[in-house]
Amino acid sequence: MKILCDRQNLQDAFSVVGGIPPQKTPKPIVQNVLLRAADDRIVFFATDFELSARVTLDSVKVLRPGEVLLPAKETSALLRELSEPTLALESEEHRCKIESGSGSFVLVGDDPNEFPAEPTFDGTRTFKVPSAVFLEMVRRTSFAAAREETRYAINGLLLDYDAGNLRLVGTDGRRLALTSAEIEGGDEPARAVVPIRTLHSLLKAVGDDGDQDLEITLGNSQIAFSLGDVEMISQLLENRFPAYEQVIPKVADSTIEVDRSLLEKNLRRVAVLSSGDVRMVRFEFKSSSLELSAESSGVGRADLSMDASVDGNGGKISFNPDYLLDALKVSDLETIRIDMTDDATPARFSLGENYTYVLMPISGS
Amino acid sequence: MIRVLPPEVVNQIAAGEVVERPFSVVKELVENSLDAGARKVVVELHDGGKERIVVLDDGAGFTPADLQLAFVSHATSKLGELADLDHIASLGFRGEALASMGSIARATIRSRTEGDDSGHEITCEGGALGEVRPSGCPRGTRVEIADLFFNTPARRRFLKTGRAERARIQELLGRLALARLDVDFTLMADGGEALRLPAGESLRERLVRVVGRRVADHVVEVDRTWGNLRVHGLVGRPEIARRDSSLALLWINGRLARDRGAQASIRQAYREFLMHGSQPVHFLMVEMPPDEVDVNVHPAKSEVRFLDARRVQGLVHEAARTALTAAGERPRTGAGAVQVGEGKPRALTGLPSLPGDLFGRDAGRVSPGGGSRVAGIRARADSDAELDVGAPGSAAPERSAPPSTVEPGDTEPSPAREPVFARIAGGRFVQALDLYWVFATDDGLVVVDQHALHERVMYERLRARHDASAPTIQRLLVPEVVELGAREKAWLLGHAETLAAEGLLVDDFGGASVAIHGVPAVLSRVRPRSLVESLVGGLDDEDAEALPRLREAVVERFHSRACRSSVMAGDRLDDREVEALLEEASRCEHPHNCPHGRPTVLTFSGEELERFFKRTC
Ligand SMILES: Nc1ncnc2c1ncn2[C@@H]1O[C@H](COP(=O)(O)OP(=O)(O)OP(=O)(O)O)[C@@H](O)[C@H]1O
Ligand SMILES: [Mg+2]
Repeated sequence: MKILCDRQNLQDAFSVVGGIPPQKTPKPIVQNVLLRAADDRIVFFATDFELSARVTLDSVKVLRPGEVLLPAKETSALLRELSEPTLALESEEHRCKIESGSGSFVLVGDDPNEFPAEPTFDGTRTFKVPSAVFLEMVRRTSFAAAREETRYAINGLLLDYDAGNLRLVGTDGRRLALTSAEIEGGDEPARAVVPIRTLHSLLKAVGDDGDQDLEITLGNSQIAFSLGDVEMISQLLENRFPAYEQVIPKVADSTIEVDRSLLEKNLRRVAVLSSGDVRMVRFEFKSSSLELSAESSGVGRADLSMDASVDGNGGKISFNPDYLLDALKVSDLETIRIDMTDDATPARFSLGENYTYVLMPISGS
Repeated sequence: MIRVLPPEVVNQIAAGEVVERPFSVVKELVENSLDAGARKVVVELHDGGKERIVVLDDGAGFTPADLQLAFVSHATSKLGELADLDHIASLGFRGEALASMGSIARATIRSRTEGDDSGHEITCEGGALGEVRPSGCPRGTRVEIADLFFNTPARRRFLKTGRAERARIQELLGRLALARLDVDFTLMADGGEALRLPAGESLRERLVRVVGRRVADHVVEVDRTWGNLRVHGLVGRPEIARRDSSLALLWINGRLARDRGAQASIRQAYREFLMHGSQPVHFLMVEMPPDEVDVNVHPAKSEVRFLDARRVQGLVHEAARTALTAAGERPRTGAGAVQVGEGKPRALTGLPSLPGDLFGRDAGRVSPGGGSRVAGIRARADSDAELDVGAPGSAAPERSAPPSTVEPGDTEPSPAREPVFARIAGGRFVQALDLYWVFATDDGLVVVDQHALHERVMYERLRARHDASAPTIQRLLVPEVVELGAREKAWLLGHAETLAAEGLLVDDFGGASVAIHGVPAVLSRVRPRSLVESLVGGLDDEDAEALPRLREAVVERFHSRACRSSVMAGDRLDDREVEALLEEASRCEHPHNCPHGRPTVLTFSGEELERFFKRTC
């Protein structure tokens, strides 16, 4: 195999797949990325068995077709360091020589024939959604999903489609983020739980630019995302997601409206003095203000007051400020709405068009 | 008067093996003597009791009528009605012990009460009851158990050597005696006196005879009362902690008993003092109204159950902890003081700060330099072997040739016990190996481990902060459902209320499952499921208390946080940082050990140094 190509293009394409090979694995061959060259284009393919990604690059000159494995970590690092506009890649045996300007680098890969084959995909059901919309939906919800691998389905996001409406839901049991969008996808309802990792890789692989449609195809146990030159196939998680609609409060004693960016700023300030042991900020809604306070015994105390329009009795409620900040950060509203009842009932935050965040308070015992 | 118990009472009584070996014979007989009000008890062993055991007392004795019933099963003078089972004040209550001895040995009781002019005796050999016959004897009772298991050779074969049996009995008698300082105990073995414990000595004096001077010299007095509950006795200092729990002793109303809950609470009080895996030494007597404790749970009467276990646990924990803390502050005589700098220690980032007005403190970072430290000297002990003294709690290293005039145990440098930190704060020191600070005091050397000390300081800060705040609950939006074993589930739900007060909300989810609705906010990053699983994990005792386990989980978190946020070996500190750390350490509750139990400071007195250099010969 021998190719000539633009360095920047190659680097961009490689970065789509470069994050997929696992750092640690009992099968070290998957720490490589497969490079296949034919018909004046090249394909990069990487997999960790659960998630695979493929990216095609057209603007290359293939002097000699063929395949080679590139060690993912070193190749990424090397491509970042090179600065000449063009590169030449040439493989021999299981080695790949990269020439750039006056430099020459040899990367030792492995036998391409041993590399896992691209997965066969069983999907039939296809949805289309502008990629920027979908990525925004992922950003609005993924932070709320559980980090731990072990808690059943909730270290993934639920994709819940029904009658032209796609919902994305993330929860870690303490908070829940829900967002939705109108999309093309037919009449049949569909549900799937997609691993957070897959969605993060997707965020990295496809830029926000362009209003290209992202094609999502759902299979029994797999999901595929395809956008332009990029295709990803991932295993789904077990379809056991908590009954999320039940935890979204439908009624509340008080409804409050506050300025979002001011709340975010103030919350950050007050949170400085919420102790490291129990991250907690007290919210007290008075008739036309919101009093924020936090205390860290032995360190200090913060009190802050801001305008709020309060409909209802208001009252006191405490939250982990980090949980709320996560959501305020991705909200694009000027004024947000809070519906709350008491310190044992979840509070509901309306953070954007079709964007709801539910947060469980911290209470005294 | 001895009565045969009505059958319903009999059925309530935990039946089982009463007599397994000479040990159990002695235990039952001595307990009987104590129940009979004896002031003097003599135990005689022949071949470790395998040949013959005699127990003599000066107690109330048997009337001839009582003698007739002595070997009858379930005959006891100590219990009449079922209701009596609720408040047992005597050590025996089943009316079982003599009867079982009569059936597996040749037993003779000779006895005389105060009122009788002459004594009587009765024998029972392998269950064959003899006649009551007159027999002269002084007031009191003599019980002889000969040829134990003569009619059950299989069980006889299980007996250990006479020496081994005797050793166990001696240990037992000592333990029984620790709870009855008013009684005179003697152990005779094969004609010689093996142990003599005169009445009226103090617990500490008795301890010297029973477990030796080393233990007796390292115990601290305890006496706490809480309503009708009292705990008193002695707790061992951390340095005499052991690998096993054989000296972690607890008496409930004079009865030597095991109680996992209470024992766990005591261990917890020691937690910060002990190396992982070592067991505290304690001799604690709990006194409480007999109707608040059930002694009838184990055939050997060695386990008890409390009506309000939490209260007992709380008190023993409290008692042990207070005693240790108080003892930690007792100045050691003869310790000299170093000159303490006049300058007020300053608060530095990440290091101990002084309490005081929140806004009034001097928070500026003081520029380094100008300290009194001889900067950069890397001290290295060149006699490593001599200075390698081993941590307290671990076995003392063997010294190759201790000077003959000195007891080996005395040459170990001791973990400091006096308020050493206040005295060395501001003093001159050298930093050795970027980890230890070596202070020269008027009295000798003080070596501080900076990481261990900082860990302690951080730990107490975190804990104080936690203790000062009310428990808070991070409620769960979606309850987490956990499947548990039946026993675990029952236990967890049984303690649901207690746990809720500390922030863990659980309830029944049907089937084998429980639902977790909230977790203590301090533990909000811990998975609710793992929290509950660790609470019920290894639950081998249904009586285990939930609270200590939950607290353990909380405290565990502080440990690791304290460790992570502490200065490490290799971090070089400025003089003023050192001074501030020592200042704060001097106000710590337990400054002498890090939260993992390692010492933070060692002192080498002039005398000890002299010994190391063999100047004493
Ligand atoms: N040394 C003694 N002096 C006076 N009375 C005794 C003595 N030993 C036993 N007795 C009487 O004999 C009875 C039976 O004793 P035994 O040890 O068999 O039963 P117990 O002590 O009542 O109960 P347990 O089986 O729990 O020990 C006692 O209740 C007591 O009245
Ligand atoms: Mg008895």
